[in-house]
Amino acid sequence: MRTRAVLGSLFASTAILVMGWQVGDTVLVSQPATMSLAGNDTGTSSLATGSVSGSQTSGESTGSTTGGSSGSTADGSTTDSNGGASDGTYTGSSVNTGFGPVQVAVTISGGEITDVAAVQLTDRDGKSVQISNYAAPILRQEVLDSQSANVSHVSGATYTSAGYLQSLQSALDQAGF
Amino acid sequence: MASPSLAPPPRVNHRRSYARRALRADLLVTLLWASAAAAVALFLASGGAAQFTSAAQIVTSLGIVAGLVGTDFILVMLVLAARIPLIDRTIGHDRAIAVHRSLGKPALYLLLGHGALLLTGYGMSAGINPIAEIGPMWALPDMPLAFGGTGLLIAVVVTSLVAVRRRFSYEGWHLVHLLSYVAVAVALPHQLSVGGVLAEGTAQRVYWIGLYVLAFGAIATFRFVEPVVSSLRHRITVSGVRTIAPGVTSIELTGRDLHKLGASGGQFFIWRFWTGRTWWHSHPISLSAVPTAGSARITVRELGAGSGRISAVPVGTKVSFEGPYGLFSGAARTAPRLAIAAAGIGITPVRALLEHARLAPGEATVLLRASTPEETYLWDEIYDIAAAKGITCYVMVGHRAARGPGWMPADDARRGVTLASVFPDLARSDLYLCGPTAWLDLVEHDAKALGLPDHQIHAERFDW
Repeated sequence: MRTRAVLGSLFASTAILVMGWQVGDTVLVSQPATMSLAGNDTGTSSLATGSVSGSQTSGESTGSTTGGSSGSTADGSTTDSNGGASDGTYTGSSVNTGFGPVQVAVTISGGEITDVAAVQLTDRDGKSVQISNYAAPILRQEVLDSQSANVSHVSGATYTSAGYLQSLQSALDQAGF
Repeated sequence: MASPSLAPPPRVNHRRSYARRALRADLLVTLLWASAAAAVALFLASGGAAQFTSAAQIVTSLGIVAGLVGTDFILVMLVLAARIPLIDRTIGHDRAIAVHRSLGKPALYLLLGHGALLLTGYGMSAGINPIAEIGPMWALPDMPLAFGGTGLLIAVVVTSLVAVRRRFSYEGWHLVHLLSYVAVAVALPHQLSVGGVLAEGTAQRVYWIGLYVLAFGAIATFRFVEPVVSSLRHRITVSGVRTIAPGVTSIELTGRDLHKLGASGGQFFIWRFWTGRTWWHSHPISLSAVPTAGSARITVRELGAGSGRISAVPVGTKVSFEGPYGLFSGAARTAPRLAIAAAGIGITPVRALLEHARLAPGEATVLLRASTPEETYLWDEIYDIAAAKGITCYVMVGHRAARGPGWMPADDARRGVTLASVFPDLARSDLYLCGPTAWLDLVEHDAKALGLPDHQIHAERFDW
């Protein structure tokens, strides 16, 4: 009878672990898929003439204005000094990570990235929020220093970093930066 | 109309009923390990496997898994301590508590490891040492509660270590042990808010909350509600206290519908006698007679201060109870024949067991053991039952032998009596043993030496 209990435990446990593994794999496979530049943009970088949205404030203020939409706003004054990049604030696409969506807005002024503001950061749980708050200022500074989305991930914040830089790249693409 | 007294159980094929019980027991074991595997699977299902990328992530992931499995063990421990009738009927109260105990230390180590690994892992990510990481972690919502829960858990396990427990009274230890409910409960918020595995809207979260509801529901139902309801329903009071030998008292109880208590002969209840001096002690005591519709009887030997006082409770004392519990009954039978050995006050459940059992003449053999003629409690009643049911009785009176098998008197040892000579058909018998631990261990040793498998040995140790 003990043999039966041992074998039963072994098979049941293995089956459960494999199921968990498989579910986890599908989660992982679906993540990179949604991380490709979101296709739900309303047209390509429509140059709105509206005022620059209030995300000019530095730091990682979690702007509540745009929510999940990934439209783009930019101010019309064009100062083409960087391959056609116009001044203004561009909101990147919302990138889904396993820990919640990440979306950033980039401000271009005089052909330079002058600010990156987080519209939304990973917030699935308390630890994610902590990681976001820790990683976002570092990423922002690196982006400002390197003037590109081509910066290394912050260790311990891989998902946040990936989402952040992906969203940033889409914003820069809109800006033609 | 139903018979007013407890009817004997229907004749059953013991081998078949054991096969069913063994299957249930194996399923319970499988369930235990499956729940531990499920805890790991929760982590995997949330994409955890992909996080084994950097040293910090690996440490963090292991910490999360340790927390999930450790908490799962704690919840299983609650379920085992809940005295759920299905579990009691399957493996018995003793085994359930033994498994409960064996999980205690692993659960504590896993949860301490959970804290240490996560502080290290998060510390590595942030580039600070684990001690410094306590600050940021403490600042997260629900984390102070979780730290507090860990402290309580350490207190609970430390007071349960054998060496420490001896310094506590049962009541003191039990009070600290109740804190484990608090410890497990206050750990839940941080699992749901800080931990990513159980995020909102996931099946993992539903499963985990379900586990908590199951464990706490079982405790609330079977440790609190059911005993209170049953005590109120049966309204048991003391109707007589009779000293049957020096230091041994039979307490007669009356109540309503006692044949519907669900008790089998050989089982015990945990009794509480509501007088000013005795209400804070509860006593596990076996029935010494099968309950009738209006009466039941327990027989107790004065050992601790607590049992001494209950032999002096006045007639009319109200009694509350939890039970019936235990597998020292006909439900544990596995083999066609019955062999019983009882020593001292261990006779009480045997008396009820024999009275309740439906036995073919010659099916059962009973060995009664006492150190002195004064300690032959209830033997006259056993003789009556034996005569009525065709049970073979052996008696052994006298102090233990210095040489030979230590569980029998010197005279019998000299005559060459052995377990095999008392129970010639032992291999086809269930051996029920009840008595002091030291004596019982010796008999059990002999039985195993004769090749009797574990499932045919049913032991109830009387240390209280």
